Amino acid sequence: MTPILAQTSWLIPLYPLLGALLTVPWSPAVIRRTGPRPAGYVNILTTFIAFTHSLLAFIAFWGKSSPQFFFAPWLHVANLDLTIPIEASAITLGACVLITSLNLLAQVYAVGYLEMDWGWARFYALMALFEAGMCALVLCNSLFFSYMLLEILTLGTYLLVGLWYNQSLVVTGARDAFLTKRVGDLVLLMAVLAIYPLSNTWDFRELAVWAQTAAVDPTLITVICIALIAGPMSKCAQFPLHLWLDEAMEGALPSTILRNSVVVATGIWVLVKLEPVISLSSTASAFTIAVGAVTALGATLISAAQIDIKRILSYLSSAYMGLMFIAVGAHQPETALLLTLTYALAMATLVMACGSVIQNVITQDVTQMGGLWSRRPITALAMMTGAAGLIGLPPLGGFWATLSLVSGLWDSHRGLLVAVVLIVNWVAAFSLARMVGLIFAGQTQQMTVRAPEPLWLLVMPMAISGGFTLHLPLILIQLGLLPVWAEVSKDMALLLTWSSILGATLGTLLYVNRVVENPAKLVQKPVQNLLAYDFYTPKLYRSTFVFGVDLLSKAADWLDRYVVDGLVNAVGLASIFGGETLKYGNTGRLQFYALTIAFGVALLGVLMSWQYLAALF
Amino acid sequence: MQLDYFLLVAAALFCIGVYGLVTSRNVIRVLMSIELMLNAVNLNLMAFSNYLDPVGVKGQVFAVFVISIAAAEAAVGLAIVLSIYRNRDTVDMEQFNLLKW
Repeated sequence: MTPILAQTSWLIPLYPLLGALLTVPWSPAVIRRTGPRPAGYVNILTTFIAFTHSLLAFIAFWGKSSPQFFFAPWLHVANLDLTIPIEASAITLGACVLITSLNLLAQVYAVGYLEMDWGWARFYALMALFEAGMCALVLCNSLFFSYMLLEILTLGTYLLVGLWYNQSLVVTGARDAFLTKRVGDLVLLMAVLAIYPLSNTWDFRELAVWAQTAAVDPTLITVICIALIAGPMSKCAQFPLHLWLDEAMEGALPSTILRNSVVVATGIWVLVKLEPVISLSSTASAFTIAVGAVTALGATLISAAQIDIKRILSYLSSAYMGLMFIAVGAHQPETALLLTLTYALAMATLVMACGSVIQNVITQDVTQMGGLWSRRPITALAMMTGAAGLIGLPPLGGFWATLSLVSGLWDSHRGLLVAVVLIVNWVAAFSLARMVGLIFAGQTQQMTVRAPEPLWLLVMPMAISGGFTLHLPLILIQLGLLPVWAEVSKDMALLLTWSSILGATLGTLLYVNRVVENPAKLVQKPVQNLLAYDFYTPKLYRSTFVFGVDLLSKAADWLDRYVVDGLVNAVGLASIFGGETLKYGNTGRLQFYALTIAFGVALLGVLMSWQYLAALF
Repeated sequence: MQLDYFLLVAAALFCIGVYGLVTSRNVIRVLMSIELMLNAVNLNLMAFSNYLDPVGVKGQVFAVFVISIAAAEAAVGLAIVLSIYRNRDTVDMEQFNLLKW
């Protein structure tokens, strides 16, 4: 039974795809009488099948070191052979388990969350498309097909963020999400195309083998590597391509669960797979680290200054993706994958808890919340679990992943980066403590006076996800992913723990114990605004790229309208003008015609007798 | 007395005829200019027949024909002018421009 399941692991992306197709009949335009709910149930079923399949296949593969490869022919033209390589190994199937399980939880969550919504068919179809796309991405072992899937997911993001398209902010958010990710994808495509003549393969394994012995022009490989990084940069919402994730928070919350935890990590997956290639160029590695470090620092600071609960989390997503960038740049791909796993579970828990708050508090403004602890214990515990699992707080998962990152950085003598990670951890802990404090502690406010725990459909996935976050260390031990305690760098572990505790304590003191009347006044107004408005990134975009492209397109439009069109129109106009003018030659007077004839005859006579006339003079 | 002079006079006469034909506003004067041109032709014919073909004098016969045809053409021309005059009440050439652009 299990070997068959392992060998047919390429079927995993097809279940949700089937689910996506099956939801279509329940669009409001097709089946009107039953309502949209069957669409959701069908999808939960297909997701569950995909989850079971990937879990069984994962168990079958666990402990075996050799991955299995399958090849699906796609296109063969001239010298180009586009075969889809599928890699079934413990890692890829583990990623499938993570994706399908989180999607299962998010879909069950959505049954409760979207109870008052009619757009289930569209929503579930797109969630299933995402699930299928991500499973296919982790299973496929080719840079080219990864690029294709990333593009499909970009389109999926556009449609999913734009679910409620009658809201103007949703429309602009979906637009920005699509364009920003598209820019990165296009630069990635350049690199994908440029690397083929060098390596003659797009297969990740063969690329890694090629990278071991490759002797290429350092400038060339640096440029290619930076372009390869640009794709994940936009996918993972890294500076300066991070605004889209902020604006994507306008979309439906259940999709945010998936987006914040897993979708943004698709970029990291590709980056990890490309790590051998990127390590060919030290400049590109440094670039990766720089982007990651700047994003991690900037985004955690921004997150600490947000008042929108979803945006607090979205900037933390950017920040943790930044940490993964640092890990890849510092040649620690395993750490990046471990961090992705712990981060995904913790972030899913956080977003679910956050949705549970939003669902009946209605506002997303944390400054209007407060005093929910006594009435929302499960949500509060889930959110705290998620927060503790995200930052480096032992014994939860995030601690081990961050510790592995910090020790690796320390071992490779990157003290500055260790400081960066510790500061990021500190600010993230503060930001999460601030969020929890603002929501659950203090006095109730008008918006939170009557706020019960929501429907079990929201609480159950949140609790399960929180449970997994709590049990993650045990799972990691079982999988043998945790380091032996004797080998752990105790100093780093202490530093990390202290940074988390200090951050969380500061947040607690300020926002739970209220040692200061108004903590927002501790920071100067300009700095506060700078962080709250995301370093004024929208203005930055608008005054540079958007302005430039807008100007250029207007100039091109003008050129087309007046110069190119004008040139062609001028020919027509000249003909019309010529006809209109020359018609006055037909004066209607007989004598004028006679004159013309006389002139014509005289002229022809002179021309014909020219040689004789010339002889005369 | 040479052939050239006769030809030059005839050409000059023809040119005067063309000038009159083009510039006159009175239809009758246009017809008269045509007569001038025909006479210039006749002069040519006579000169050539005198100097080049004194025995056969074929040019003179042509000239006789031209004179007769000129008379016929003048008759028809005047008739046309009369019929136009009866309709338009004028013989001004500038008024007959129904076909202008």
